[in-house]
Amino acid sequence: MSQSDRMKRIRNFSIIAHIDHGKSTLADRILESTSAVSKREMEEQILDNMDLERERGITIKARAVKLDYTAPDGEQYVLNLIDTPGHVDFNYEVSRSLNACDGALLVVDATQGIEAQTLANAYLAVDANLEIIPVINKIDLPSADIERVRAAVEDEIGIPADGCPAVSAKTGLNIQGVLDAIVRDIPAPTGDENAPLKALIFDSYYDSYLGVVVNIRVFDGSLRAGDKIRLMSTGREFEIVEVGTMEAFGLCRCESLSAGEVGYFTASIKSVGDTRVGDTVTLVSNPATEALPGFQSVQPMVFAGIYPADGAKYPDLRDALEKLQLNDAALVFEPETSVALGFGFRCGFLGLLHMEIIEERLEREFNLDLITTAPGVIYEIKLRTGETINIDNPSNYPTADEIEEAREPIVKANIITPTEYVGGLMDLCQDRRGTFIDMKYIDSSRVELHYDLPLNEIIYDFFDALKSRSRGYASLDYELRGYQASKLVKLDFMLNGEQVDALSFIVHEEKAYGRARRIAEKLKENIPRQLFEVPIQAAIGSRIIARETVKAMRKDVLAKCYGGDITRKKKLLEKQKEGKKKMRQLGSVQVTPEAFMAVLKLGDDN
Amino acid sequence: MTTDRLGVYIHIPFCASKCYYCDFCSTAAAKREKIDAYVYALLCEIREFAKAQKEKRWVDTLYFGGGTPTLLSLENFADILSCANDCFELLRDAEITAEANPKTADFEKLSGMRALGINRLSIGMQSVHDGELKALGRIHKFKDFEDFYADARRAGFDNISVDLMYGIPEQTMESFEASLDVLTALSPEHISSYCLKIEEGTRFYQKRETLILPDEDAVCDMYERMSDILGKSGYTKYEISNFAKHGRESRHNTKYWTCDEYIGFGSGAHSFVSGKRFANSRDIDAYIETDGAGTREGEEVISPSVAENEYIMLGMRLVRGVDIPKYEARFGKSFEEQFGKKLKKFCPEFVILSENNCKFTDKGMLVSNYILAQILDFS
Repeated sequence: MSQSDRMKRIRNFSIIAHIDHGKSTLADRILESTSAVSKREMEEQILDNMDLERERGITIKARAVKLDYTAPDGEQYVLNLIDTPGHVDFNYEVSRSLNACDGALLVVDATQGIEAQTLANAYLAVDANLEIIPVINKIDLPSADIERVRAAVEDEIGIPADGCPAVSAKTGLNIQGVLDAIVRDIPAPTGDENAPLKALIFDSYYDSYLGVVVNIRVFDGSLRAGDKIRLMSTGREFEIVEVGTMEAFGLCRCESLSAGEVGYFTASIKSVGDTRVGDTVTLVSNPATEALPGFQSVQPMVFAGIYPADGAKYPDLRDALEKLQLNDAALVFEPETSVALGFGFRCGFLGLLHMEIIEERLEREFNLDLITTAPGVIYEIKLRTGETINIDNPSNYPTADEIEEAREPIVKANIITPTEYVGGLMDLCQDRRGTFIDMKYIDSSRVELHYDLPLNEIIYDFFDALKSRSRGYASLDYELRGYQASKLVKLDFMLNGEQVDALSFIVHEEKAYGRARRIAEKLKENIPRQLFEVPIQAAIGSRIIARETVKAMRKDVLAKCYGGDITRKKKLLEKQKEGKKKMRQLGSVQVTPEAFMAVLKLGDDN
Repeated sequence: MTTDRLGVYIHIPFCASKCYYCDFCSTAAAKREKIDAYVYALLCEIREFAKAQKEKRWVDTLYFGGGTPTLLSLENFADILSCANDCFELLRDAEITAEANPKTADFEKLSGMRALGINRLSIGMQSVHDGELKALGRIHKFKDFEDFYADARRAGFDNISVDLMYGIPEQTMESFEASLDVLTALSPEHISSYCLKIEEGTRFYQKRETLILPDEDAVCDMYERMSDILGKSGYTKYEISNFAKHGRESRHNTKYWTCDEYIGFGSGAHSFVSGKRFANSRDIDAYIETDGAGTREGEEVISPSVAENEYIMLGMRLVRGVDIPKYEARFGKSFEEQFGKKLKKFCPEFVILSENNCKFTDKGMLVSNYILAQILDFS
């Protein structure tokens, strides 16, 4: 087969959607109807093969699968479906996955219409020069309004939606229409298999037998076992051990991967840190002169301290983080010591969801009990000395008289909401120190709100507040805009006169009093009575701005000896002792890990 | 060394009705025949135990606990006491106690008991307020207690202990003080006063959500007020919850706190003999069926290290605390090394540590569990 004949039969595409609009279900149906997976073998949502993903109904890591498809006219096609993560935390990964494609199915819920991530994802696809095919899903639902959604797609996103397939992924209705559109409308890849190799890394993961498995889209040239490759961002070189394709049920070795194709390679690589998403792979012997555009090294945006609840588990936590990092180049961590919490790690995450996922994986897959400190962001501090430093840990925050100017990260937030909740959401954004940019009507019932918001206001509980004020209907998308000068202060807490470093955080001056009072109250509720009275104080520098007191314990005694039943009393004491062991010593005060968590997990500011 | 004198505990697991707070081994409204069958099983168990001993053990305390021992007939008491007499060297001046509840024995029975050699009564009064008694599920009114107490005195009991309770639902400081005043006026030789604790498996536990109990501060105030009033009325606090006139401390209960040996007979009874702790099953029917044999469970051989910790745990319940030279003689270890160092941080507010003695302060007594949990190790 000639090069052009081979490429003519390839379609590389992705499915993008707002959360819950049915992306994964549609992927399942496509897998079924291309017979890559028989119904009997079909485990629901095969692409999301992490437990956590299945539970949360989101895709965390990108996945890809090669499907052999015979069109009704008898023509054979190779469809490479590249699944993308569905959350703003992973925007960069989404954009790289999209760059590996030539087209995208934009799934829109026929009952909900366009949501914030529909737009965000559509813009990413436009940026990647993809052919976008809108797919209107959930048309089996009684409240489906296909025509309204079609019109919204054309007006809002500016892509024709006239002949676009309307389907029910759930029932399987009109999946053929989607397959027809893929073959008809998505362009076949272009490229030259005789040119120097250029392959885009869109995902990689660690396998304990194979080492790092790197998923790539080949744009030019070809790749086979034994080739010496170079990763263009780092210049690191490796020798290819194996190349192949991702089939529905696992990896399948093949001879070579050529321009237009999607597949994987292994090269005895030990860490995914070496195979950064977005990097370009080329051959050492015949290198490409320039890399594919768009590579960025991912920067964590949210930071928190993670500590083992049981201090003895510190080495286990380190091992677990190292293992997770093998598969997650976006996770960064370095050892940190807290007076209150002992040894732990300062970890950086792409966003709050990423942080929650890491926490949950540590707890579930590695069976660790964790204490996580309040999440924070990176602040830029210009010192009076003229130097500018980045602070990701409140403990390192300079004192007020050392600071010339403090700056905090600001995001561009895009909120889509039914009109009736606009007032409440504007109040929320205002309360979170947002700057109103503009407001656009999407249709008569829905509005798009643009705000600039400080990232540190979003990472607490903004998303929950947004959902509760819009009864779940509002959606949010954001991207980093830059840094802005701000009146920031460091809020410290003292128990019994001793500062508890793990409780400190950085907050805007205006918010400090309210926060201080609420945390002091929460500490009071959660600190068990001790043998002595425990004053709780919140302070900015040396100024106390809130105060509470935990009264001294007066009674903890077993009154009766139960007719010589000593065993029972021993058991009670042992049990008490067990409880005690889990206690965290915060200076001279003992606090249960639960109490600590309760304090850190603050609810809505209202 | 432990003293070679043995304490004997006999459990009578029958009650007229079950009080709402009680999680002891007891059953309500048993038939006469069942009680007789139980006593028969008791006699068998006592004889079997005695048979297994190399020689007759000296016994200086015998204690009928319950349940409600006064539900036994005089014949039952006579059988048990004569059996104990046969099987042990029951000392002439042995302390022989029976727990008793108002309305479960008349003057005649009390006289009979006294005549059989029972020389101490421990009567459950709990409160002088009928409302509080009802709230606790007691079957008697205060008047019944007064009559019972008078009968007991008339029957010749000159060593009477009365049980009192605080922390009762809806109890107030005023009502508790009234109970204390009425009680001290009656002038029993000994007073045990326990704080109500809601135990699993009790009626109170089932409705714990709806109970209105005095809070921690109120209960502590009651305890402190009680210590004060009883102290002024001629009672010395010698254990966390026990007060006695001079020389009237409970000799039997003191054995528990000084790690002396005791053997428990009957369903659910606990023993500490020859370095082992064990208990009989709480299954009364099984106890009767096996003639008191074969229901022993959970034997625990007390290792030297556990023994030391028990010694402190129990000894520190006594107001006089732990006698350090005695501890060191008994275990051959330095008290300072084992416990003294760890206790230092609680001195002098909660613990008083001198060369020969270690004891809780009044304040420390109330938080003794909290402190003991930090210094003891039973693992």
